[in-house]
Amino acid sequence: MIRFENVTKTYKNSTVALRNVSLDVQKGEFVFLVGPSGSGKTTFIRLLLREELPDRGRIWEAGREIIDLPKWRVPYLRRNIGCVFQDFRLLPNKTVFQNVAFALEVIGRPKSVVDAQVPQVLDLVGLSKKRDNLPSELSGGEQQRVAVARAFVNRPLILLADEPTGNLDPATSQGIMQLLDRINRTGTTVMIATHDAALVDWMRRRVVELDQGVIVRDQARGVYGIDNAAGRSAG
Amino acid sequence: MPVSADYVARETATNLWRNRLMTIAAVLTVAVSLALVGAALLLKQGAANAEVEWQRGTQVTVWVNPGAGASETKAIGTQLAQLPIVHSCSFYTKAQDFAEAKKILTPSVFSALTLSSTPPSFRCTPSQPQDAQAVINRFRGQPGVYQVTAPIQSIHAMEKTITVLQWVFVGVALVLLLSAAVLILNTIRMAIFARRREVSVMKLVGATNWFIRLPFMSEGLIQGLIGSLLAAGLVFVLHVVLNYYGNPSNPGAVLTQMRMSGWNVFGTDAVVIIMGVLIGSAGSAAAIRRFLDV
Repeated sequence: MIRFENVTKTYKNSTVALRNVSLDVQKGEFVFLVGPSGSGKTTFIRLLLREELPDRGRIWEAGREIIDLPKWRVPYLRRNIGCVFQDFRLLPNKTVFQNVAFALEVIGRPKSVVDAQVPQVLDLVGLSKKRDNLPSELSGGEQQRVAVARAFVNRPLILLADEPTGNLDPATSQGIMQLLDRINRTGTTVMIATHDAALVDWMRRRVVELDQGVIVRDQARGVYGIDNAAGRSAG
Repeated sequence: MPVSADYVARETATNLWRNRLMTIAAVLTVAVSLALVGAALLLKQGAANAEVEWQRGTQVTVWVNPGAGASETKAIGTQLAQLPIVHSCSFYTKAQDFAEAKKILTPSVFSALTLSSTPPSFRCTPSQPQDAQAVINRFRGQPGVYQVTAPIQSIHAMEKTITVLQWVFVGVALVLLLSAAVLILNTIRMAIFARRREVSVMKLVGATNWFIRLPFMSEGLIQGLIGSLLAAGLVFVLHVVLNYYGNPSNPGAVLTQMRMSGWNVFGTDAVVIIMGVLIGSAGSAAAIRRFLDV
């Protein structure tokens, strides 16, 4: 589903964000991308969204090479990828329903589809009763659930999350993780960049650790720090 | 993916309403500048109409020396009658010219004139308007001829004035048009800024570039269009006013000679509206290019 092959990305100020990174993620996997700030996690996500292009290497996503993708095809690539951020990125003047519906409307889905899919996904994230509330009337956890609903409403093949629990307390963070886990069970590949050690340890899923732009660990059922008990495996 | 017209209309209306003060400023500037362009165009057409009128009525007056004898006067008359470039002539006696001078000259100027010092004249119509100058050249300095005059000079002076006026209009209009385009650009820039969150979400979920751009494009276009429709209305009102004062019962008046047809106004309005749409599109296209990163 996701394949990085010898990818190197250097920024203009000659900071090397990723150094010769290769990685394979299969369809339906749940992967944590961990590492300290500046280790290259966000660059990884941005490359997958094609907000950035690598200097070297190739990237495949949903069976398609994305480096040579013409610019006008990028929006179509993004329709296969749902994305959730630390700051939720909700539209403050739209209700919960409208925020989620917006993601379908702007890719030209008819009203009938919007009216059918939005309530379903709001039900999935447990916000059916708050569909007419504005984001400012919701808690942080609820806002992130709306963001997850918006990312998932188009049934993407891949769901990316960049520090999705960075602004949330531990209990709420677990709720979000359970939600992402539920989405993963529908067959969606989930990749989460985080440095929330407790959550990674609690979930026990595949962990890819980045340090200074290099993959230093790739464990099938890993924890945040090095866990000698778990066997090493490359996915 | 087709972009729904309903969506573009809704978003455009929202944006225009959100930035209504800037929108009004942009629309009014477009309206004033295009009204000036329209007025200049209308004036040009009016001047062209009047020129035809003036040339058609061009008369050459051959003034006979007040002291000339009857035979000399008769010889001039015969020469004029034989000249093929002269269509017709009528002779005005000293008394007739004196009476006419009393009517058109101011009392102070007229008081210097006596009946005996008034020259008699031949009032001639050339076969073609452009022959007037040839008639003047032929008779100027002839024995017995006091002076040959035609209103050509005053027509030229009038045309010059109108041309200068047109260029002043066009110059002012160009400056205003430029400011209108900049105002539209700024309104769109503000709209883009106001909607930057939405734009970033749209990009994230895979809205096409055209889907993102179109509401902003149509916003500028609509500002240009509304401004140009107002300008077209002003041009029409100007036309009605000019034609009202240029009454056919007063054929000598300049405004009457400038009378414009409905087609003149229709053409001018069409040009004004097209320019408005172009300015609106150019302003928003520049803003999108510069400030909307898709």
